[in-house]
Amino acid sequence: MRKLCISKILYNMGKFALRVFALSVLVFLISRLAPGDPLYAYYGERVEKMSVADQEQARERLGLHEPLFTQYARWLQAAFHGDFGISYQYKTDVKEVIAARIGNTLVLGGLGFLLIFVFALGLGLFCAWREDRTADRIICRIGTVTSCVPEFWLSLLFLLVFAVWLDWLPGSGAYSVGEEGNVADRAAHLILPLAVVVLGHLWYYAFQVRNRLLEEVRADYVLLARMKGLSGRQVLFRHCLRGALPSYLSMMAVALPHILGGTYVVETVFSYPGIGTLAYESARYQDYNILMVVSLLTGTLVIFCNLLAGIVSGRIDPRMRIQNGAGGGEVRNF
Amino acid sequence: MDLLEVENLSVSFYRPEGEIEAVKNVSFSLGEGEILAVMGETGCGKSVLCKSILKLLPDIAKIKTGHIIVRGEDIIGYSEKQMRKLRGSLFSMVFQNPMTALNPCMSVGEQIVEAVRLRQPGLSGRERQQRASELMYLVGLSHPEERAKQYPFQLSGGMAQRCVIAIALAAQPLVLFADEATTALDVTVQAQILDLFLELRKKTGMSIVLVTHNPGVAARTADRVALMKDGELTGIGDVEEIFEEIMHQQNFI
Repeated sequence: MRKLCISKILYNMGKFALRVFALSVLVFLISRLAPGDPLYAYYGERVEKMSVADQEQARERLGLHEPLFTQYARWLQAAFHGDFGISYQYKTDVKEVIAARIGNTLVLGGLGFLLIFVFALGLGLFCAWREDRTADRIICRIGTVTSCVPEFWLSLLFLLVFAVWLDWLPGSGAYSVGEEGNVADRAAHLILPLAVVVLGHLWYYAFQVRNRLLEEVRADYVLLARMKGLSGRQVLFRHCLRGALPSYLSMMAVALPHILGGTYVVETVFSYPGIGTLAYESARYQDYNILMVVSLLTGTLVIFCNLLAGIVSGRIDPRMRIQNGAGGGEVRNF
Repeated sequence: MDLLEVENLSVSFYRPEGEIEAVKNVSFSLGEGEILAVMGETGCGKSVLCKSILKLLPDIAKIKTGHIIVRGEDIIGYSEKQMRKLRGSLFSMVFQNPMTALNPCMSVGEQIVEAVRLRQPGLSGRERQQRASELMYLVGLSHPEERAKQYPFQLSGGMAQRCVIAIALAAQPLVLFADEATTALDVTVQAQILDLFLELRKKTGMSIVLVTHNPGVAARTADRVALMKDGELTGIGDVEEIFEEIMHQQNFI
């Protein structure tokens, strides 16, 4: 039994490593084959004043003259030793550039994810409970509208209303100048981008919960549960929720990187110094080393969360759990 | 006085296409400890009749007229809250497909214990388990303790139906509605379940309304038979009487 578990873990880890490797090859090739000159990232406008010989020399120094395969092998070898190269744009270690910003994105995306996770479940439950009543209908209409409005437009609208016209909240950055350690100030800067992130995603997940629950409510077992003397609400919470929860959890596990990475547009509009703005800039200026690490981070998260989703739903749903041999009553059917 | 009297009950479904009369002016009565088979072809309104007595109809269905009198009290105007009390205690129901009637995500033990808890809120956790085991034993499930940990998909159809019956019995009902309770099971299991009904009636003294389209089931188990056709009750009487009549008309199934 134990041996089985270890081999299973090894198998999953191997699969994980293979996927990350394939991802790194893909991202490497795509970024290098895209048109554009990475020297621009390094030297900016000065490139145009450099002679061809100077440009060649610079390329050689940055290791950009070698064949793609050699470049990749070099990158991989260095990466194994924890060296991801330097950022052409910032001229410092990639890790430093990313470390300075990843916290901001984790706070924005992480908080956004938590809020979406809780509110989507609550809203979905409420709508399923009040199916086709006035409250449910109104929420469905509003939800459809909010989830269809593009994030950048909603961001601009919020900026205009709350930052410019009303002047209630700051509209850009993660903190005011000189207030880096001030939690209240950071929180105030977080409200608008967070609101956009949550509003942009919330209804999609809430609607899934609602529909999944309505499927459960129509199942036969609900009649038996009502027969026991449970009210409609009790049946929803005690019986239907249990049936809908595994698929919700696995859906949210897959959604985690989507929401974390989906802050790109919002970060850009609000000039929020996170990974999103960094990724955008690095792709624009061919800052290969940054792009590699940012893409790999996001990709690894996606792969990891997909694995997690499989494990989570397998543990919760008894039908999957017991078939995987993890327990349950061992009674023969006679 | 009879346990349950239904007088001139009419039920309609209101759909966009128009009104559909599912039950028309049905009257019958049920004595204590009696087994009444409601027999008729598929779609004649047998199930709707049961569900309207229990008020478990979908929202589009309405009881138009009639009285449902339980021990002298008319329950036709009962609110959902009052009905809930009746469902958990006076009435209970067993459904056609045992594999879908049980919640697939809960162990059968949990589902039986839940029914026990709703009927007897005063019991401690241990007593509830005890009572659930008794019920499982009563319906003929061996090894109740281990069985309770199993999930519906691990059970055969017959065992799942026994679990559903155990849940129904947890309510200690006066009337058990068995809506095509044996239709989804194979013939030998059908016979076992019908024997179980007879045995349970003897032990608990409850009445059973047995909805079926199978004359064999009705003849084997019931004291009286009610015939339904197109929502109307076309005849009611002792098994021999009704089958005699059917032999003459040859109009069943």
